[in-house]
Amino acid sequence: MIRRIAMQRRSRFKAGCARLAGGAATLLSVYALTFVMVVLIPGNPFQSGERNLAPETEAALRARYHMEDNWRFFFEYLAGAARLDFGPSFSYADWTCGQILAASLPVSMILGGLAILIAVGVGTPIGVIAAVRRGGAFDATARAALLAGISVPTFVTGSLLLIVFSVQLQWFPIGGWGTLWHLPLPAIALSIPFIAYIARLTRVGMLDVLGSDFLRTAVAKGAPPGVVIWRHAFPVAFLPVLSYLGPATAQAMTGSFVVEKVFGVPGLGQHFVNAALNRDVGLILATVLVFSAILIAANLIVDALYAWLDPRISAAA
Amino acid sequence: MAGAALTGGPPRADLTYVNPSGVHTLDPARMSWTQDFRVALNLWEGLSTWDPRTLEPIPAAAHAPEISDDGLVLTFSIRDDARWSNGDRVTAQDFVRGWRRAMEPGTAADYLFFFTEHIAGAGQYVDWRNKHVAALTGLRKLARGTKPSDNERRLIEEFALARDGRNSVAWLDAPQHDWGKLADELLIRHAAEAETRFAEVGVAALDDRTLGLRLTHPCTYLADLTASPVMLPIHESIERLRMREGDLPFTAEGLVVFDPQWTKPSYSRHGYDGLITNGPYRLSDWVFRQRLRMEVNPHNRAAGSIQCRSVEMLKFANVSASLMAYEAGVVDFLTDLSVPYGHELARLARAATSTDPDRHSSDGRADFRICTVLATYFLNFNCVRAEVNGRPNPFTDARVRRAFTLATDRAALVERVLARGDRIAGSMVPPDSIPGYTPPMGLPFDVDKARALLAEAGYDDPAALGPIEILGTFNDERLVQAVARMWREVLGVRVEIRTQETKTLAKDKIDANFLVARGNWYADYNDPTTFLNCQTTGDGNNDTGYSNREYDALLSAAKSETDPARRARLLREAESILVERDCPVLPILHYAQIIAAKPYVRGLHANARLWFPFQYVSIDR
Repeated sequence: MIRRIAMQRRSRFKAGCARLAGGAATLLSVYALTFVMVVLIPGNPFQSGERNLAPETEAALRARYHMEDNWRFFFEYLAGAARLDFGPSFSYADWTCGQILAASLPVSMILGGLAILIAVGVGTPIGVIAAVRRGGAFDATARAALLAGISVPTFVTGSLLLIVFSVQLQWFPIGGWGTLWHLPLPAIALSIPFIAYIARLTRVGMLDVLGSDFLRTAVAKGAPPGVVIWRHAFPVAFLPVLSYLGPATAQAMTGSFVVEKVFGVPGLGQHFVNAALNRDVGLILATVLVFSAILIAANLIVDALYAWLDPRISAAA
Repeated sequence: MAGAALTGGPPRADLTYVNPSGVHTLDPARMSWTQDFRVALNLWEGLSTWDPRTLEPIPAAAHAPEISDDGLVLTFSIRDDARWSNGDRVTAQDFVRGWRRAMEPGTAADYLFFFTEHIAGAGQYVDWRNKHVAALTGLRKLARGTKPSDNERRLIEEFALARDGRNSVAWLDAPQHDWGKLADELLIRHAAEAETRFAEVGVAALDDRTLGLRLTHPCTYLADLTASPVMLPIHESIERLRMREGDLPFTAEGLVVFDPQWTKPSYSRHGYDGLITNGPYRLSDWVFRQRLRMEVNPHNRAAGSIQCRSVEMLKFANVSASLMAYEAGVVDFLTDLSVPYGHELARLARAATSTDPDRHSSDGRADFRICTVLATYFLNFNCVRAEVNGRPNPFTDARVRRAFTLATDRAALVERVLARGDRIAGSMVPPDSIPGYTPPMGLPFDVDKARALLAEAGYDDPAALGPIEILGTFNDERLVQAVARMWREVLGVRVEIRTQETKTLAKDKIDANFLVARGNWYADYNDPTTFLNCQTTGDGNNDTGYSNREYDALLSAAKSETDPARRARLLREAESILVERDCPVLPILHYAQIIAAKPYVRGLHANARLWFPFQYVSIDR
């Protein structure tokens, strides 16, 4: 028995290591692919606006940023990135990519984390109640509202929130960042599509579970409805939501470009878009690496949670 | 981390303004954008500056120069009371340091030509330095085992090998050389020679207070150049942050590089202790793409009289949100109200000031002001390539370009399609902007003449012109669509539009991979040549590929002409060739930019350079 547990632990450790190695390999391929694209796209990182840069001046700037040699840049950047040194930004000459990430990543993580918390806190109860009262008035209203939540783009909901709560009611500041009061509006705007997805996933999951044998058994054994729904049905129904939460968290933490723009939040999302538009090679690679790392980490965490919630998974692994 | 991201800001500044795109860089030698210039010129002070009302250059850190009779030698004496923000005196050496740094490879950027085209010997020095950088770059590549470019190879042969008298080409191809050693030797020789070479450049500190300047040609607009960021002085403390290869003043590739953190207000390393500037303000805080704060420089000679003691710049990516913040009183001044409903803001601005009863209305906003900027939006015609993307290019024929220009109703585009308050452009140089210069009128809207010209050029059937493609960006879609429709209706040609992202379009323009492409140009200095030089043969910004000896000759004659009236006549003649006869470019409008300043902000002037010196501002809440 003890030997079996030890073996199980060892195999789990092995699986974990394999997962980590897989993550690293993914990260490396993402880097290589992005690098190839960055080299291939037309456009000059050192040109600003309409003015053309003299070729000699450009050559000197390329030499300064070690871009005169793609292979050198590829390996030097990779070596730097491994030490979390992402080099200088090309479009913001006074800042390193590390400084830019340090300034914007915490902002995005706070905002995205809060948005996901709101999304889970609001989305799951809606989904559960809609499933339990399937076909009722709540279900119909919720389904319509959720569809709207997915379809209406965040620049619309964000602007509406801004106009109503900041301009008209003046409860919150008009954009910016710095105090706790700056947080709620962008977090809510960011959370709306996630609320909708989570609620819909929860609802479908619950509908599946509610019809299963083990629940009928629980009801037959006389378990009260609250216990049946929340203790027996919900954990199983939550599994699809959980697997969605990995990518969703990564997306909320890094992909909040629109919300950032509407509310003037100095997060990472803007750099994703602007770095590409500016051909800021260093910053493009840095943001892509960070996004991929967060995505991979979020998925690993979700996998671990999954195994913990549903022992069948780890057995299969 | 959370704490760092969520700490409250400092108390509200006397003046809070918004820049939609924030600041790109505070390195004066590398900046290209108006909003960066504005911050730099409030923090630093050059030999001259501009009067914010008239935009006339006025003396700043130096007195007006003594000028030799031939106009080529200028002597500036630095003011006795010019001070850095740490109390040090501003010296002539500080200017030489700043200017030399701006010329050096690795730093030099858009405004390098201010030196190379105007200061004696600067072009030769920069060229000599660039060639060595290329040679050293090539040698370092060889040392790493990668191949140098052809140009680098050639320069390696010239600088590193020729002196040994070896058969350099064969020698270069042979394996097994100590390329690194060769590079180090070249770098040492180069560094030693660089000082004597720079001594030949026409800028020198004659003593602590006297700066001597030798020009390549008499320059009527020099005081305009010396007011700009690229010609600002730099405090000597920057030397502590110079990156060195051994004890040489260059990097391994021969570049001049300083730790880019030098522009930060509180960066301490190697004895460097934060940015020191010599203007009316000093930098007190700069948070990346959030805010930047300036406080009065206590050592500046005007410090006592400056009422606006602190200025905060906020970045709002969303211009509409910045307008909301302005309406709510969170900010006092907006420098750029470029929004899709700009026409409505322009109407409100005009309604408040117009004496015309049709335009005047009670909802007018006197705090919205329209600045007519020294800038022109135009279309480029490809004048050189016979074929573009497999399609014949009719625009190599000047008659076709003229026909398309005649077929463009610019008044309708500017006043009806855009209605943002821009000025209709007949010429590249905005009228009434440069004292003593009246640009030509440009071609009128004349449909019959346009059709006749096309027929003359052999296009009786406009369909023979083939589909004409206009390259535009997302910002000017509306205008380009209107132009396309106009050409379709007036000339009967097929017109297609390709909307591209800015950098891709820039690449296509450089590669002459277009038939018609949008372009714009902001004046660098107050002289017609800032617009007209771009169309001379071989100019780096000549995207059309236009080449006309007569035009080049007129501009070169104007260069050496010392009589202002005669010079203006030469330039006008050149511009008339450009916009009335050969038409490589089709000017459409001179930009208007709407700004907003609260009534209690006094002393801000809506001017064509969007130059807002805060030292003259007073707040009267």
